[in-house]
Amino acid sequence: MQDTGKNIIIAGVGGQGILLFSNLLSKYYMKLGYELKISDVIGLGQRGGGVESHFRYSNKPVLSPFIKSGDVDYLLSFEQTETLRYLHCLKDDGIVFTSTFELSTSSVNTRLEKDMPESKTELIKRSGKKTFIIDPEENKSPDFDISKMMNIVMLAIYAEFRGYPHEEMIEIVRESVPAKFIEGNIKAYEKGVEIARAFAL
Amino acid sequence: MNGNEAVARGAFEAGVKVASGFPGTPSTEVMDYTKYRYPDIYCEWSTNEKVGLEVAIGASFAGYRSFAVMKTVGLHVAADALGGAAGSQINGGLVLVVGDDVGRIAGDDYNDVRHYGNMFNIPVLEPSDSQEAKDLMIKAFEISEEYSTPVILKITSVICKTTSGVSIDESATYKVKIKQKYKVSFSKVIMTTMMMNAKGSEHPKLTKCFNDFPAHMRRLAEDCNNFDINKLELKGKKIGVITAGTPYFYTTEVLPDASILKVGMVMPLPEKLIRELAAHVEKLYVIEDGHDIMEKNIKDLGIAVIGKELFPKFPEMMRFTPDIIEEKLVPDAPKRTLMDGIPFRLPVSCAGCSHLFISQILRNHKIKAAADVTCGLIGCFPHMESYSLQKCMGSSIALAHGYNVATDHKENFVAMIGDGGFWATGINGLMNLIFNDSQSTTIIVDNSCLAMTGGQHIASSEFGFNYKPENKLEIAKVCEAIGVKDIVTVDAYEFENLEKAILNAVNSNTNSVVIVQKPCVTKFKLPKSDIYQIDQDLCTQCRKCINIGCLAIESKKGKDGKVEIVINEDLCVGCGLCSTACKFDAINS
Repeated sequence: MQDTGKNIIIAGVGGQGILLFSNLLSKYYMKLGYELKISDVIGLGQRGGGVESHFRYSNKPVLSPFIKSGDVDYLLSFEQTETLRYLHCLKDDGIVFTSTFELSTSSVNTRLEKDMPESKTELIKRSGKKTFIIDPEENKSPDFDISKMMNIVMLAIYAEFRGYPHEEMIEIVRESVPAKFIEGNIKAYEKGVEIARAFAL
Repeated sequence: MNGNEAVARGAFEAGVKVASGFPGTPSTEVMDYTKYRYPDIYCEWSTNEKVGLEVAIGASFAGYRSFAVMKTVGLHVAADALGGAAGSQINGGLVLVVGDDVGRIAGDDYNDVRHYGNMFNIPVLEPSDSQEAKDLMIKAFEISEEYSTPVILKITSVICKTTSGVSIDESATYKVKIKQKYKVSFSKVIMTTMMMNAKGSEHPKLTKCFNDFPAHMRRLAEDCNNFDINKLELKGKKIGVITAGTPYFYTTEVLPDASILKVGMVMPLPEKLIRELAAHVEKLYVIEDGHDIMEKNIKDLGIAVIGKELFPKFPEMMRFTPDIIEEKLVPDAPKRTLMDGIPFRLPVSCAGCSHLFISQILRNHKIKAAADVTCGLIGCFPHMESYSLQKCMGSSIALAHGYNVATDHKENFVAMIGDGGFWATGINGLMNLIFNDSQSTTIIVDNSCLAMTGGQHIASSEFGFNYKPENKLEIAKVCEAIGVKDIVTVDAYEFENLEKAILNAVNSNTNSVVIVQKPCVTKFKLPKSDIYQIDQDLCTQCRKCINIGCLAIESKKGKDGKVEIVINEDLCVGCGLCSTACKFDAINS
């Protein structure tokens, strides 16, 4: 069946390359001729603030720039506190791809509020959604800095899951990132494919 | 294209000659795209919004299309200039591109630029997507020239940061448009004086000063019923909605059967179209982001609409979402709620930011201080508590001066200000305190750019659109020229020197300025030094280091479930501030 379009939320914190991720993905869908609306919500603070990107592609004109809660097909998150923030937006059969990376919040650090008593990873696992959880610690590589390139790793995992051609994705990465980062990005992409294949997607 | 890109494209296609303004989230990038994509257009970041708008007004009088870009908070600064331009003779089209931070996405106040439309009786256009952002930018110049009025293009944090398709004529070339209809252009004060005293006179010396601006606006209010940017879509009879901006798309998605009047010009409103819709439907709603401005203007026409009573504004709703419309207007819509207890993120300074050093010294020595609008205002938040007073941009110097004169200079209340805020309007506060014989201390954070909005250049930067080394303004020299008695310049990372400089300044009984230098760590990507680590055996978890407010210091559960204070090695830049805070020598590089 032809893909008529999907609603995706991409979430994380500032500095994780979320906007680059949605930019790369948009190039792929534009090549396929889809209509797109991508809305980025960036909080105050240069670094460490929450970032969410509502990414919609469709074979019909996309109306709302924001996805209504309950209409999200995929949640791609680079930080697990942020993953929890958007779980309720997923469709019943929506799917979660998340990193176990966690940037503790200033409010918890300074004891303005208590952290959640339970493990966030466990909460995600028990959300009742299909989840793919990626631990950056376990996937560290000397070839690239996974703390900075989780976006590219995630792009590869998503592409594998959707059955998109990796050569085309890598080409888009190559066209889009500064020359000195291309090699590292490709290594990160390859790592993502490896992780995805281990999930047997 | 995102909305900011689309507005810049619109400026290019409209043949704009001059772009000016002042950075402000979410609309800052309008200028960047204009500058780098369309080099034919003269661009400048001005010292503040008022100056920026005045530059655009001057260019417009010369006959050239010009725009000034700013956020709504910035238009408060420029409001006097807008009041002067409103109702005056306009030659080249004059457009204000103003960013409203609906939903306080970037942390702004609850502002709504449309109030200026009401106050000054000038048109406001509001796009719903990037295509319209481009089209309405062009339309704004046409309206400005046709009806002799400045026009506000209201863009929002959603429009600015949403990417959607825009059709572009790639072969379009840049053509400057020139219109020199009026020989003079005076503020309304002069024109109203003419109206009152010279009515009926045909003498050209009198008539050239007179501009019948109320008549222009009446004509626009009539004509806008036929503008194609105002679209009436008559469908079902149950629900009618008057809407503008991105809420138009939330509405069409949630209520596909509703009859909708989508206005591209939110001020003045197309009265005939509103009455036509009102007559067609059983219930009429207004769905508008920001304040209830269209709603009030429609009610003023004597038309019953439902708005705020069903959709309470602040603080219940910061901006419309499809969810809010569905909850109220779609019976039996499923309700989905956020998981409880997810910690929130207060803004945190970047690791290595010079502001952290200053905040730390003020806190350590219990020095009372006012912060400005700068990255340093993060020091006001409850996880840092370094400042007790903070208001608008450029205000801190005068705030501290006011405090000091009221308390007979017994408390030495200090002002901290960023270099951007200093040049924008803070310098006025400094001049004021000198000639009023005040003894206040001012800390000026010289990080070589306007850091908070992403590092745009300012008068003391060593880069910029129109930068020449010989034109760079030196903060210290200007302070000296103004008459500051005691001026010290220190490197932020030399902690002991900085501490000494601040204490000396505070304790001296003359006016003083401490200039704290360190380029913005994020803009200039400073090289990292050796990163620091916390020795868990020595750490007592006193949390002194956490209270610095550095993004790199975290309180985390380790693998064994025990809470540890740790330094995030990916974020640490090795500035060493945390090691000065530790009494137990647990933090070392």
